[in-house]
Amino acid sequence: MKSGRIIYSLLFCIVVVAVAVSLSSFSLHKTVSTLPDAVNSPVANLLPAFNSGFYDPDFNLNADSVIIPMKTAGHLFLIEAKVDGEVGNLVFDTGASGLVINSSYFRNHVKSGGTTSTGITGSVGNVEQISIGQIEFADLTYRNLRADMANLGHIENRRGVKILGLIGFGMMRNLEIVIDPINSELKLFRIDQTGKRLNGKGTGFKPDYSQKIEGNTNILFLKGTIRGKVLNFCFDTGAETNAISSDCNKKIMSTLTITRRTVLKGTGTAGSEVLFGKMNDFVIGNHQIRDMETIISNMDALSEAFGTHIDGLLGFSFMKNGVLCINFVNKQFGIRFKKGEEK
Amino acid sequence: MKPFVCFSLLFMTLMFNSLVTQAQLDPDKVCHIENGQLIFTLNLKWSEKEKKEVSKLFDLDSTLIAQVYSGKSVIVSGNETWKVKKIQGTLVELSKSVQSKADKSIRMNDLLLVVENWMNFAGNTASTTTVYGINNFEVANAFTYSQNKALFYLPANKTAQRVYISGTFNNWSTTQTPMKMMGNGWMVELKLNPGKYAYKFIVDGRWTTDPSNKLRERGDAGAYNSVVYCYNHVFELKGHKDARKVVVTGNFYGWNPRGFPMQPTADGWSLPMYLRDGTYAYKFLVDNEWMTDPANPAVRKDADGNLNSFIGIGESYLFKLDGYTTAKKVVLTGSFNAWDEVELVMDKTPKGWQFPYVIAAGNYEYKFIVDGKWMIDPANPFITGSGNFQNSFIALKANHIFELNKYPDARTVILAGSFNNWNEDGYKMVKEGGKWIWPIYLQPGKYTYKFIVDGTWILDPADKLYDQNEYGTNNSVLWVEPSN
Repeated sequence: MKSGRIIYSLLFCIVVVAVAVSLSSFSLHKTVSTLPDAVNSPVANLLPAFNSGFYDPDFNLNADSVIIPMKTAGHLFLIEAKVDGEVGNLVFDTGASGLVINSSYFRNHVKSGGTTSTGITGSVGNVEQISIGQIEFADLTYRNLRADMANLGHIENRRGVKILGLIGFGMMRNLEIVIDPINSELKLFRIDQTGKRLNGKGTGFKPDYSQKIEGNTNILFLKGTIRGKVLNFCFDTGAETNAISSDCNKKIMSTLTITRRTVLKGTGTAGSEVLFGKMNDFVIGNHQIRDMETIISNMDALSEAFGTHIDGLLGFSFMKNGVLCINFVNKQFGIRFKKGEEK
Repeated sequence: MKPFVCFSLLFMTLMFNSLVTQAQLDPDKVCHIENGQLIFTLNLKWSEKEKKEVSKLFDLDSTLIAQVYSGKSVIVSGNETWKVKKIQGTLVELSKSVQSKADKSIRMNDLLLVVENWMNFAGNTASTTTVYGINNFEVANAFTYSQNKALFYLPANKTAQRVYISGTFNNWSTTQTPMKMMGNGWMVELKLNPGKYAYKFIVDGRWTTDPSNKLRERGDAGAYNSVVYCYNHVFELKGHKDARKVVVTGNFYGWNPRGFPMQPTADGWSLPMYLRDGTYAYKFLVDNEWMTDPANPAVRKDADGNLNSFIGIGESYLFKLDGYTTAKKVVLTGSFNAWDEVELVMDKTPKGWQFPYVIAAGNYEYKFIVDGKWMIDPANPFITGSGNFQNSFIALKANHIFELNKYPDARTVILAGSFNNWNEDGYKMVKEGGKWIWPIYLQPGKYTYKFIVDGTWILDPADKLYDQNEYGTNNSVLWVEPSN
């Protein structure tokens, strides 16, 4: 049954909750975006229907770009933020579509909607939506947002930091996004309708490799190859380690180094086998990345949640290899690989 | 022993070792997947230790492994069937099909916690376990510390618009602590207690290590942080101006004779440093000659009969036991000295016994040993455990008091939480002035807890913050902020 599968999708709870949640928001936003006011913004005009410009931030400084210093907790990247007066951190989690808010701090907020229901959301439990008046971080202010609410207490317990919510690409879709995991920086650039940075800010990102972004969701799917086979990965900054599906082609599986295994006992008799190891032969463009830590697991539930078949997640183990640039307007993903050991 | 003999012995031992442990275990080469089979390559020559290691790394049942070594070819374990196949030499392959359908009842968080231990975290700037520290700044005025005031200075960056300092002292906040433009650089004064701190500057959004500070440590995600110590002690030795080299060493440095080099001053030698709160034994080495501190009257003999100087860093706590004036010997023992039964002999007073002892902020359990008989502190109402396993409890520099203002007629109220592994037998709250209390020392961070009132688990009615727990009920939440 669907519900069971989603709940099982244990691995990347952040992703799962977030994605499942966000899929429901797609449908909600779809209705909003057909309203004529989207026309007022030339950028919003070009955006896919489900993204209404709902999440466009104000730049307080009238600047064309901002550098957001991210904090790290384990392998998570955090952005210090104020959400309706509450101070804490948002997890930068691109496995989430838009905004997910931690019920611990906002359970008394006005509900703006309940679960819209179909299989996926229902299965995560009742996902409630709430209205958020204002979110501020760095020099950005977002007003009047709708957020999905989830229990994120387990991330706090693991990482010992106060988590107000998760923030995904949906919150910055109209901007060029440069992620520098090595220096813990998130850079956002305002862009025009063609995806170019405003006022020629900076020289622009010079990638070693770029890939066209496919699909119209706020989730970034990337093609990578292992042993010549093209695989579909979700780029997920909330995944503290990579993941690859145990259902992949046999040739692919034989390239993995398995360093750890455990069987988690549940109520069922079989228990759940968890494998952990290294991805050795991953290639993106012409660039091979070795030794990426990865979980090997069944990904059916995740695929179901994302609404598309995925073979794995590219998380922290992937990110730390370079600087990444994501531009949903001109639909380009680029990566500049780290050269040697950074200081 | 002569160095040559030592070396030869070492060499022979190494050779011998390499002969017997030919079949060394490389965890990267044990397990792989081929054609849908999970295959473990085991070596029949492995020692028990290596078998145990493999069993641990890959969660293989020890009886399963034993059966492989006993020569079985098909092994049924639980509801899985394993096959064993000899390959070359002493190598065997143990295999089964990769599990394709997972158990759906597994809780997500359990799995994340498991994987957590396998992930490679680059470093860890835990400041609380560090016992000592000495700074290493290239520029003298880049950092100063006196009277609990720390002054950080970042030179240049004149064109920067905004500069912040972020570190363990402010929970790595990126927005709380701005620096001020002063002269040729940026400055900030912080009120800090003695201790170890990791920090960075944020210059217009960019994380920067302190360019003047050579002391750095890697954080979890791999990036370096600057590290600074706020000092709380100066070792001083007057005279000995003609000595070539003076160092100080002690139990805080494992009595390493290399020691910490002291700097010459106008009338002797000195070394400022950070020492974690506690009691330490130390000595000076003046041109390789050991000596106690002539300026310190506190000298005690160690187990081998050597004299050492002693210092207490931090506030001392006076343990007292009234009465028992006819006892011959009373010893204080507790979690602060690993329950040593001889070390801390209490001093006799007209009214009873006492012992001043310096220990770091924290939660401790202790007992007195009166002429060989163990007893809890009769004057301390705070007790942990039950039955014969009771200890007195003290929270030194307690920074939080759990309070329950209701249930005045309850027989027992227990405090259980993440800070004591949810021990249901641990912290028995004490009724004082109509409410139940339990003082405690907690490191900054998140804690979840509940009260157990006469056997019933309840949330803290005075705490509006709570989290869902795995039982579908909730836990109260307490955040402890860094206290500087």
